[in-house]
Amino acid sequence: MNIALRIFLVIGAVIVFAMVIRKIRKSEMQASDSVFWLLFAGAFVVIALIPQIAFVVSDWLGFDSPSNFVFLFVIAILFIKAFTLSADVARLRQKVVALTQEIALREKR
Amino acid sequence: MKTLAVIPAYNEEESIVDTVEELKAIAPQIDYIIVNDGSKDNTLAVCQEHGFNVLNLPVNVGLTGGFQAGMKYAWEKGYDYVVQFDADGQHRPEFIQKMVDAAVEQDADIVIGSRFVTEKKQASARMTGSALISGIIKLTTGKRIKDPTSGMRLYNRDMIKRFVYEPDFGPEPDTVAYLIRQGARVIEVQADMRDRTAGESYLSFSKSISYMMRTCTSILFVQWFR
Repeated sequence: MNIALRIFLVIGAVIVFAMVIRKIRKSEMQASDSVFWLLFAGAFVVIALIPQIAFVVSDWLGFDSPSNFVFLFVIAILFIKAFTLSADVARLRQKVVALTQEIALREKR
Repeated sequence: MKTLAVIPAYNEEESIVDTVEELKAIAPQIDYIIVNDGSKDNTLAVCQEHGFNVLNLPVNVGLTGGFQAGMKYAWEKGYDYVVQFDADGQHRPEFIQKMVDAAVEQDADIVIGSRFVTEKKQASARMTGSALISGIIKLTTGKRIKDPTSGMRLYNRDMIKRFVYEPDFGPEPDTVAYLIRQGARVIEVQADMRDRTAGESYLSFSKSISYMMRTCTSILFVQWFR
């Protein structure tokens, strides 16, 4: 965990914060969706400020280097997010199809 | 027996009129409904001009959702049988009554209008795909379906109900395989088909590959957990 990675994490967190605030201002993101991204950016800051967390956990799990653990952690979180988004899209698609069918059937009744 | 032909149509302005006029002329005892699946061309206008019976979906939802809309219509109107009929002129209306008769006589849940009951498959890339799907259906259900990719299928009222209430029930081979495993009686009746009269086959090479992948994945994996 060199200083460059720590600075980079903080910059990343600031960018995520800025993006979330912009989306909320434009009403393109709801409070419930912003929670995930704020926690995500918050985790960046925590690890940047207290790198000991990454050292302890990566040591405990047997990683060669704490930065490897940080990378894997971020990938895992994003993977889970992508997976739940895919499920959300499927659910939304189902609703759109049902509504579209209902409009057509009502017009026919 | 009240039978409804469900004709999914997406951008079919060139062929829909001939298809429906032929259906009305040759099989006047069969009702029909065109499901206009959010076409971007003049399919809807052409149908209204000719006074056809249309169910108009305001946006495109794809074959599964479009066909399900037709099934919901059939369910509400109390039809005994639904036949899935292509808008592009491939299917021949003279075979619909034969399929209905076979369904009644043999008490079948699904009747497939099959190109290969009495005729033999010729060897081609498309038929290799068909044979592969036949193979995995045989493997997973124990039943030999000679023409699983035929798009001309007749469903009885029990099956109509299932299409209405279950999501992700596409009018495709994987659904047929699933229903066989659930105890549905599926038979095949010889039905000759024409080559397309208008438009291009929607099964281009890349689409064929993704169709095969999706169908095989669905039959071999997804359906065991539905």
